[in-house]
Amino acid sequence: MLTAQIQNGAPFDLFLSADLSYPKRLIDAGLADAAGTADSSTPIVYARGTLVLWTRKDANLPPPSLDLLRSPELKRLAIASPERAPYGRAAVAALNSLKIYDALKPRLVTAENIAQAAQFVDSGNADAGLISLTSALTPQLAANGFYFVIPRELYPPIEQGAVIVSNTTQRPAVHKLLDYLLSAPVQAQLARSGLLPAK
Amino acid sequence: MDWQALALTLKLATVTTAILLAVSVPLAAWLVLGRSRWLAVVEAIAALPLVLPPTVLGFFLLVLLGPRTAIGRGIASLLGHPLAFSFGGLVVGSVIYSLPFAVQPLVIGFAAIEPALVDAARLLGAGRSRLMFSLLVPLARQSLLAAAVLSFLHTMGEFGVVLMLGGDIPGATRTLSIVLYNQVENFEYAAANRTAAILLGLSVVALAAIYLRGRPRGGRRA
Repeated sequence: MLTAQIQNGAPFDLFLSADLSYPKRLIDAGLADAAGTADSSTPIVYARGTLVLWTRKDANLPPPSLDLLRSPELKRLAIASPERAPYGRAAVAALNSLKIYDALKPRLVTAENIAQAAQFVDSGNADAGLISLTSALTPQLAANGFYFVIPRELYPPIEQGAVIVSNTTQRPAVHKLLDYLLSAPVQAQLARSGLLPAK
Repeated sequence: MDWQALALTLKLATVTTAILLAVSVPLAAWLVLGRSRWLAVVEAIAALPLVLPPTVLGFFLLVLLGPRTAIGRGIASLLGHPLAFSFGGLVVGSVIYSLPFAVQPLVIGFAAIEPALVDAARLLGAGRSRLMFSLLVPLARQSLLAAAVLSFLHTMGEFGVVLMLGGDIPGATRTLSIVLYNQVENFEYAAANRTAAILLGLSVVALAAIYLRGRPRGGRRA
């Protein structure tokens, strides 16, 4: 949505995306850049995401684990859209790595985004969901459920990227903000939001 | 072109319109004929789905129909499965979402009928249902048509509620508006144009056909 808005001239200066493919698309279209950084043709990675399996505490299911994904007790598994949402893509990659994607496919419910996937589970309509650690750590979900961190080797890294919108008039300020985002104190804070530092 | 989604959308709109007319005709007749002041509150509640953003309405329905409420558990034990992520769930969501679009034209149509006619029918001993089917509905044919058309089209283009309540399951809950949204979000603009053209073209044809039937020779005011 934001990418389409920027393509159509939305007056933004900096674009931060949880999905590297959208800022990449803007760079390829010549509408954004990462000028002044090591490689100006790829987005600036500022954080990496973590995929978790989340269930409600009152779901009458064993605590979340890889075994739960293989269990017939799991009737409905919520994921975000694998076509658009980075965590949805990671979820499908993880299920494929575990060789259970085809078996689980009829039991998947697909949400438009990761927050909605979490709502499917939190409202009790899906038994479990593959969501972001960031969502699982929000006060509402942290109080209601348990999460299990999906091993990182099961899916490609979920990199979050920034690009400078080329027709910005605020370049110095944009660089200041980017330097701040990548500074050691901010990067050290990312873990509190369920993210890993960029490097 | 996703024909499965098209068929599903038409089915959803047809079922929803049928249920809405069955519910809205008695409701609108009650609102117009009734004498209680409290009916103003009922009328206000019937208009509420217009106020909430559709995705928020969908979220509330997801929670209400889910296994964490008594209503949701009752439905699940009755049907053998939860209502969310099923065609039945979309029907419930669509009926609530489009209710004002059926009730409002009917209330206006019924209220415009000459009160003397209603009084005369009452004096001659007509009961509620006789009044409704022999007097109100025939005299408010155009309003009934408007209610049906608006309900049908509003359901055809319904998005937020379906998004929240559906879970994007092909053949069960993936409607044409979801397909269209997916195509736009995936930058498949050519496919999106085709889907939108079909949705719009179909609506124009259906509307023109209905309005043609509702149009007396020589114009509406002849």
